Amino acid sequence: MSKLLKNDAFWFIFLSVVITLTVYAINADHGAIVAKTVYLTFADVLDIIVAVSIFIGLFQVWVKPATIVKLLGKGSGYKGVALVCVFPILMGGSLFTIFPLLKTLRDKGARMGAIASFITAWGGKAPLLPLEITFLGWRFALLRLSFVVVFAFLMGILVDRVCETPA
Amino acid sequence: MRAGIVYLIIAIALVAVSFLKDRQKTKDALKATFKIFYVVLPVLIFVFVLMGLIQVYIPKEAIASFLGQKAGPLGILFSEIIGSIALFLPPAVFPFGGYLLQNGASYGAIAGFVFTAILIGITTLPLEIKLLGVRFTAARNIFTFVIAFFISLFMEIILA
Repeated sequence: MSKLLKNDAFWFIFLSVVITLTVYAINADHGAIVAKTVYLTFADVLDIIVAVSIFIGLFQVWVKPATIVKLLGKGSGYKGVALVCVFPILMGGSLFTIFPLLKTLRDKGARMGAIASFITAWGGKAPLLPLEITFLGWRFALLRLSFVVVFAFLMGILVDRVCETPA
Repeated sequence: MRAGIVYLIIAIALVAVSFLKDRQKTKDALKATFKIFYVVLPVLIFVFVLMGLIQVYIPKEAIASFLGQKAGPLGILFSEIIGSIALFLPPAVFPFGGYLLQNGASYGAIAGFVFTAILIGITTLPLEIKLLGVRFTAARNIFTFVIAFFISLFMEIILA
């Protein structure tokens, strides 16, 4: 039981059910709208979520953190900057999973600007492109992805200014 | 054909290629896939319930007036604040964004929400500070918020 209570998945489902039932108890029509929204959106995304999970799983196995660290090096020079602003776009995961990787990059001598560029480019989220195109359209998705590269580049310059002040 | 089916076919083809190259790695990849699916699915369902709640309790006009074109740059600012606080896993960000779009939010506001929901997280701040330092964390989050604002503004101008 205590294990169940520490399980995030359990709590999200539990809360979802409780909220829906509460709304239903207050007003049956409203409850039906909530249930219908959940059902329709769910039916809309299920196959996409499965595909996206497969993409991310494959990437995790075939591109190890050590490979990424080696590939990116110190994130300096034209090639390094270009890589650090583009490559992380392909990665999955949440902020919780990439911070430890960034710590490793930092320990290997990457500049703070390169770390900031990495996080920003990671926000590009190419593995989630199927979801983004479905819900926001391909024009939005392409435009956002292009801006992400510029965004990552600017972040690198600005964060370096603030965090890598020469002694 | 549904777009989702196309993505699934591509995913299965990639799994087949991976399997031919290395069986063990492919097994590990599918294990990771199940784990991701297991973590993401409950959060998604919760976000869908949230969308249902908005549908029932928040009038369309309210979303349009706070996050719509009429709200202008202020709408982008609002959506960035929502995105910074929201505890969304990235896969939940796009369905929710699409939902806001349908209900009258502007492209710029959606962009602001998407950028900050993915890149800024109140819950990850302690970890970021611990691993990369206060100075870096402050600089990164503030610059992210500001640059996301201007990019969202551009996106609104281009897409509207």
